[in-house]
Amino acid sequence: MNNTIVEKIIQEIEKYTPTHEGEHVGRVTAVGDGVVAIDGLSKAVMSEIIVFEETKGKSLKNSMSAQGRSTSGGEEHSELYGLILNLEEDGVRAAVLGDTARVMDGMTVKSTGKILSVPSGDELLGRVVNALGEPIDGKGPFKNATMMPVERGSYGVIDRKSVSVPLQTGIKAIDALIPIGRGQRELIIGDRGTGKTSVAIDTIINQRNEPKETRPICIYVAIGQKESKTARIVAQLRAENAFDYTVVVDAPASAPAALQFLAPFSGVAMGEYFMDRGRDVLIIYDDLSKQAVAYREISLLLRRPPGREAYPGDIFYLHSRLLERAACLSKEKGGGSITALPIIETQDGDVSGYIPTNVISITDGQMFLISELFNKGIRPAIDVGISVSRVGSAAQTKSMKAVAGGLKLELAQFRELEAFMQFAQDLDKATADRIASGQRMVEVLKQKNGAPIPLELQVAVLYAAGKQLFIQVPVNRVTEAEAKLLAFLGGQFSETLATIKKSNQLSDESKKQLDHAFDEFRLAHPELFGEAK
Amino acid sequence: METAYAQALWKIVKGDLPAGRQGMTPHKAVEALREVLVKDGREILLSRISKAFEKIATRELARTQLTLSVAREKDERHAKREVKKVLEKLHLNEKHLVTRIDPHLIGGWRLEGAEHLVDASFKKHLLSIYNRATAE
Repeated sequence: MNNTIVEKIIQEIEKYTPTHEGEHVGRVTAVGDGVVAIDGLSKAVMSEIIVFEETKGKSLKNSMSAQGRSTSGGEEHSELYGLILNLEEDGVRAAVLGDTARVMDGMTVKSTGKILSVPSGDELLGRVVNALGEPIDGKGPFKNATMMPVERGSYGVIDRKSVSVPLQTGIKAIDALIPIGRGQRELIIGDRGTGKTSVAIDTIINQRNEPKETRPICIYVAIGQKESKTARIVAQLRAENAFDYTVVVDAPASAPAALQFLAPFSGVAMGEYFMDRGRDVLIIYDDLSKQAVAYREISLLLRRPPGREAYPGDIFYLHSRLLERAACLSKEKGGGSITALPIIETQDGDVSGYIPTNVISITDGQMFLISELFNKGIRPAIDVGISVSRVGSAAQTKSMKAVAGGLKLELAQFRELEAFMQFAQDLDKATADRIASGQRMVEVLKQKNGAPIPLELQVAVLYAAGKQLFIQVPVNRVTEAEAKLLAFLGGQFSETLATIKKSNQLSDESKKQLDHAFDEFRLAHPELFGEAK
Repeated sequence: METAYAQALWKIVKGDLPAGRQGMTPHKAVEALREVLVKDGREILLSRISKAFEKIATRELARTQLTLSVAREKDERHAKREVKKVLEKLHLNEKHLVTRIDPHLIGGWRLEGAEHLVDASFKKHLLSIYNRATAE
């Protein structure tokens, strides 16, 4: 033991005043599968945090190793907590927020009188925490964090305002066709392996293009995910310089079901700290299907009556009370916002399942990711025909509105003609042109993972596609042509792009300059336009 | 079913019945219950009721029983004197007090029962100091 610790212990002894204050306690009568039955604690309240006393009957030395560190370090031997979930006639039932193997029959349980809270604040940015807000990245405990209640009512009608500021995802297909506003709840739904997480991560990465003062704080909540996947995401965010404004809340598949069910609430509680201070927040719940499964497990163990698909009766309320906490606050309340992008995984494309339909009905829009499109190489595999954003168009910038106006209709017509094309042999010129244009538009909307594009470049590319710049480019070279155009515009027409970015409009002057840029581009890259079919 | 019978019996034993329905001794109550069950051909329930009753009794006694733990036998007198004030403050009855020796406490005393815990042991104080000193 070094001198510093000895000094600290001496200081603590000097200022120590023993108290004989009583504590309200209960006794564990049954334990198993992450849930304990406790006799006593008759004054406990719902969602109260309880502490399991692991030191009883142990020597001082063993007690020090069992409870010798305070919680915030997240060490192996931190105190063991429980969360009261059922109040019963002769006791309570609680979920163990840790390793159930540490709980013994007859163990004393202390009431804390506190509702579950998690730390929040600027200190959390660039950190990975568990569902209790304890750091799990080895960078030490938080020193000045503010505690925020995990369960809190959402803001009411008077405190809110309509969504009006766009949240740029950097993904052309979304920003053009399914725009998202700050304060909106947009569901990302699809089968496994269709790129749902990639869409969410690209959105986080794209926020680096926002000015620092208006850049949303990003919170990524990983529920029931593999640790390797979360580690990969953290590494990607670090590599893309997106981790400095991001908090990762991790409740992996190996964590107890109670922590998996709590993680989204912890995430939004952390976000509310920033929203209450007028900041914008983007929160990703990846994914709520796994949270529903964890909640079902807890509910069945708590002996709550099972309903459809064995989910408890309040499964809708679980998601509605979580997503209602996403809001766009009025000026009087500081004008902050929480934008929620919940993810739901479907089975075999079935969006009519219990949980998917629940969450669809709660959110302000959905983007469907389809395996068929993914396998065709159309990525992001968003089916723009059935995806909607109910409130986002009000927040879309004028520049984007100008280029994306007729895009959805054009794509819908192309899809119909595409099906017809498989049978028809001779097509009239108008139909053939429309098909050619549609094919190129589909190519233009394709985008690589981890490569979000700033708004002004998106506008320029979509304007070019609308002006049929790519019509003479072979379909298989459209992506290449687009990349070269982006580089060309960024190098030689940066002022035009800056004007579009600054004004958020596509003025006649900017259009002229872009038209001129396209002519120059054609001359600079004749090889792209020479082999037109 | 057996739990309901056992709970009714427990209420009789405790004398916790509404006014006007008191007066039956536990012994008489058990006899009466046995007769009713035999008459109904349900005497098989008797052993189950006795097990349920035992469970309730253990639980209820654990709720009311107070355990005073001390590190050494010679600490008992002093501890009892101190605990007396605590019991008065908590409105608890001294007659339910049971004393046991727990050398791990090092010194002081620890009172537990009736949903209350007052830990005045040296072990708790030392742990508290250690936790604060190593908090960061």
